[in-house]
Amino acid sequence: MNRKTIGFILGMSLLVFSSLSFGQDLLIKNGTILTVTKGTIPKGDILILKGIIKQIGENIKAPKGVKIIDASGKYVIPGIIDSHTHIALAGTNESAEVITAEVKMSDVLDAEDRSIYTAITGGVTMVHTMHGSGNPIGGENVVIKTKWGKTWEEMIVHSAYRTLKFALGENVKRSNIPTVGAPRYPQSRMGVNAIIRREFLKAKNYMEQWDRYLNAKKSKKTAKNLIAPRKDLRMEQLADVLRGKMVARCHSYRADETLEFIKLSKEFGFKIISFEHASEAFKIAKELAKEKIGISIFLDNWAYKVEASEGIAYNAGYCTKNGVLVSINSDSGERIRRLFNDAAKAMKYGGLSEEEAIKLVTINPAIQLGVEKIAGSLEVGKHGDIAIFNEHPLSAYTLCEKTIIEGEVYFDRAQYLKEREEMEMKKKEEEKKKEKKGGTK
Amino acid sequence: MKIKKNRLLICLFVAILFFASTSSAPVTPTYAIVSCKIIPVTGSPIEKGTIIIRDGLIESLGPQGKITIPEDAEIIKADGLFAYPGLIDSHTNLFLEPPKEVPRRPGARTTTATDPRQKEKAQHPDLMAAKLLKPKKATVSDLHKIGITTVLVAPESGIYAGQSVLLNVNGEKAEPMVINSPVALHVNFTTASGTYPSSLMGTMAFLRQSFLDTEHYFSHKSQFSKSSRGLKRPEYNSFLEALSPYVVKKNPIFFNCANLEDIKRALRLIKEFKLNGFLTGANEAWRVADLLIKNAEVPLLVSLDFKPPSTSSYIKQGEELKKKAEEEIYPANASNLHKKRLTFALTSLGLKKPDEIPKNVQKAVKAGLPKEEALKAMTIIPAKILGVSSFLGSLEPGKIANVILTTGEIFGEKTKVERVFVDGISFGIKKPAEGEKPAKVNIAGRWSAKISSPMGQWESTIELEQDGNEISGRISTRMGSWEIRDGILSGNELALSISATIMGEAMNLSFSGTAEKDSIEGTITVMEWSMELKATRIPDGEF
Repeated sequence: MNRKTIGFILGMSLLVFSSLSFGQDLLIKNGTILTVTKGTIPKGDILILKGIIKQIGENIKAPKGVKIIDASGKYVIPGIIDSHTHIALAGTNESAEVITAEVKMSDVLDAEDRSIYTAITGGVTMVHTMHGSGNPIGGENVVIKTKWGKTWEEMIVHSAYRTLKFALGENVKRSNIPTVGAPRYPQSRMGVNAIIRREFLKAKNYMEQWDRYLNAKKSKKTAKNLIAPRKDLRMEQLADVLRGKMVARCHSYRADETLEFIKLSKEFGFKIISFEHASEAFKIAKELAKEKIGISIFLDNWAYKVEASEGIAYNAGYCTKNGVLVSINSDSGERIRRLFNDAAKAMKYGGLSEEEAIKLVTINPAIQLGVEKIAGSLEVGKHGDIAIFNEHPLSAYTLCEKTIIEGEVYFDRAQYLKEREEMEMKKKEEEKKKEKKGGTK
Repeated sequence: MKIKKNRLLICLFVAILFFASTSSAPVTPTYAIVSCKIIPVTGSPIEKGTIIIRDGLIESLGPQGKITIPEDAEIIKADGLFAYPGLIDSHTNLFLEPPKEVPRRPGARTTTATDPRQKEKAQHPDLMAAKLLKPKKATVSDLHKIGITTVLVAPESGIYAGQSVLLNVNGEKAEPMVINSPVALHVNFTTASGTYPSSLMGTMAFLRQSFLDTEHYFSHKSQFSKSSRGLKRPEYNSFLEALSPYVVKKNPIFFNCANLEDIKRALRLIKEFKLNGFLTGANEAWRVADLLIKNAEVPLLVSLDFKPPSTSSYIKQGEELKKKAEEEIYPANASNLHKKRLTFALTSLGLKKPDEIPKNVQKAVKAGLPKEEALKAMTIIPAKILGVSSFLGSLEPGKIANVILTTGEIFGEKTKVERVFVDGISFGIKKPAEGEKPAKVNIAGRWSAKISSPMGQWESTIELEQDGNEISGRISTRMGSWEIRDGILSGNELALSISATIMGEAMNLSFSGTAEKDSIEGTITVMEWSMELKATRIPDGEF
């Protein structure tokens, strides 16, 4: 039986015992608290009531009945946030068409994906789980908390930005995918740009059509015999992007196409929150900073395809120092548990401070997801989403010991190891019994 | 005078209509089933009772002695037998001959697919089960054997699979069986291969868009019919036409729910578009029981197929739990729903053979479902769900005479069905006759035969159906296409009788010979002539 399996069973048992109301009460005592936004408290306490942080400081007394976690010698940090991943989904791409803004990842959430458990073993409490990069315009993404054992309805973070996935470059051109049958349009970067422009023009037309109809409906002269335009879910989504109700997250590697996409956003007046992967962001850091567009990147993963060939490990550090909001993402259901390691590398490559480095996986992704008021740092009034590490989270030897969401413990390494040992013992005993039985025959 | 004349005419007309209608309906005998234990389902059991069946209906029923047996009734002594209403299987794919799939051009895929009609071609909401019915004698007798007299037959595949038909299994001809068609539109949360939508999220978007389009199309059409001047004519769209009765007029839509997320998806769509939705399949329903309680107005049809879905978390955690899931956890679905006081029908959806139905009901009962609830879930509850409880689903005077006689309590392991009445037509359950042996081979399928006749060699094709050791089918020669009936395959010995029409004359041909898996040899006898027949099997897929 492997680790994941045991974790899975553990998690399923949580489903049975957990209560359904929002959040729980919890007091974490005597830990080294890295608040991320308000400095470090060498030995402090955090009081969480009904899932919300009520008090941070020294010598906080636990109200009656509140569970206490002793964090002496441990490091307490805000829950890690992964700004770009594809976990907890039944499907990633709608690949039969090129423009699929109408699809929603919230329609195919899978609360039983074990990657959620993998995530909490690495202190991750929130993820932005996204449509794939197969289409120039993909689907609507969704932000969830990694409440393993709960239903996905209980995981969704409704206050986060509504985001739409865009993608440029090789994945969209199908450069690294064997072509089956007729090649699909677009096959070039200029084609990608053109098709996105075409769709936004269509969306503008669509909006005007509706405006004309609604105006005609108001006027007494023309109100007779009017037929409402067809409601088109694809166009509705793009219209929401143009209306500012949704923001763009754009998969992009090369500097030139990134700049082209920024031009496109200005032409149509929509907001780009961040570029994904952006391995050449360091070449255009000033432009990105000026436009207040962030990046969500790998720390040291590059050259895995032609358009990633100029990636460097200094990207995060360099862009941060030039005023770009940077987050480190996993894009994976496995690497998701080592995001703190990736953050630490930004100190070696790029020379970020501890605080700057830890921001890459906490408050920065929170800002990119529009959840900085509830997550990303340890402050009174924010959600009690916390990870407790046995050593400094940027140490190479650190391990996440507990992952807490809204005051509720979702991962406890000690308990996990204990239960795993018990299960293995039980299994061995059963095998022995079987052997004995076999022997007497 | 004039008025009187008219009246006379009307009387005449009515009389003609009356006679026409009575004379065209098949005459079924009147039956009196006596001394059986009657379980009416909707009333209390009668220990020793009588049921009178006349004109396809239950005329009366009650304790023995209180019911007068009509003089013209054929008396059926049913001492020791139990009488139940015929069972209803409220969702199955039996009886259907699916339309031949047009092979796709290899590698063909839509590249832009901006034309909505492109997508629509991949779906077929207009597919009518009623038009695809190919009732087989074997299926009919298999259903009767387990006491099923009514089935809802639905097309199986595609996001919009098509529209279902409700049948009373009263023979082998399709049209006389039809109670109601179309009954419901059937939706699967599946994908269209090679074309949009190719993912589950795409399917959800596709469903939403097609519901919206139907509403839009219908409102345009109705506005045009009200005042057409100055209004563009709505373009006819057969896809949206097929959806209109369901999306706009709110006829039933069955959402086939393969797992718990499908149940939630269906409930979301039902709510968003105010649909008259039904949940079917739903073998993970117990996992969302609380949600179902909140949506108690949505009818629930639970499948007796206990195979865990591929998404099930139970089958991903090793063999031990997988086995437990198959044998204990999923069979307890119905029992768990009953504990939550949810009402549901039981269906055979997903089961391949009818005889799995009673076996799996037994499993559900073993897992804690009370027997009487299982009985209701296959009689009065599906009748109510399908809107036919005024004439089906229980033993009550005036209802259709769908009655089954069993040797013991229904769903008992040793219980056998002795006789079924469907629409008042009696069907005995055949037991093998003396001297007959079970068939050694299965010869169902298509055969190519050579017959050496006095008029030279005939090439012919034979199509055979097999039910146990009973054989039926057709033989096509250049002299015509003839029915094969009353065939018996006893061991390897095959005897057939062929009703032929040769040069306008009806003749009976008989065949006797031997059959192997891939060859049949023997002699056809007609009057004083005999002809040698040699046949070889045509492999599947060849025509």
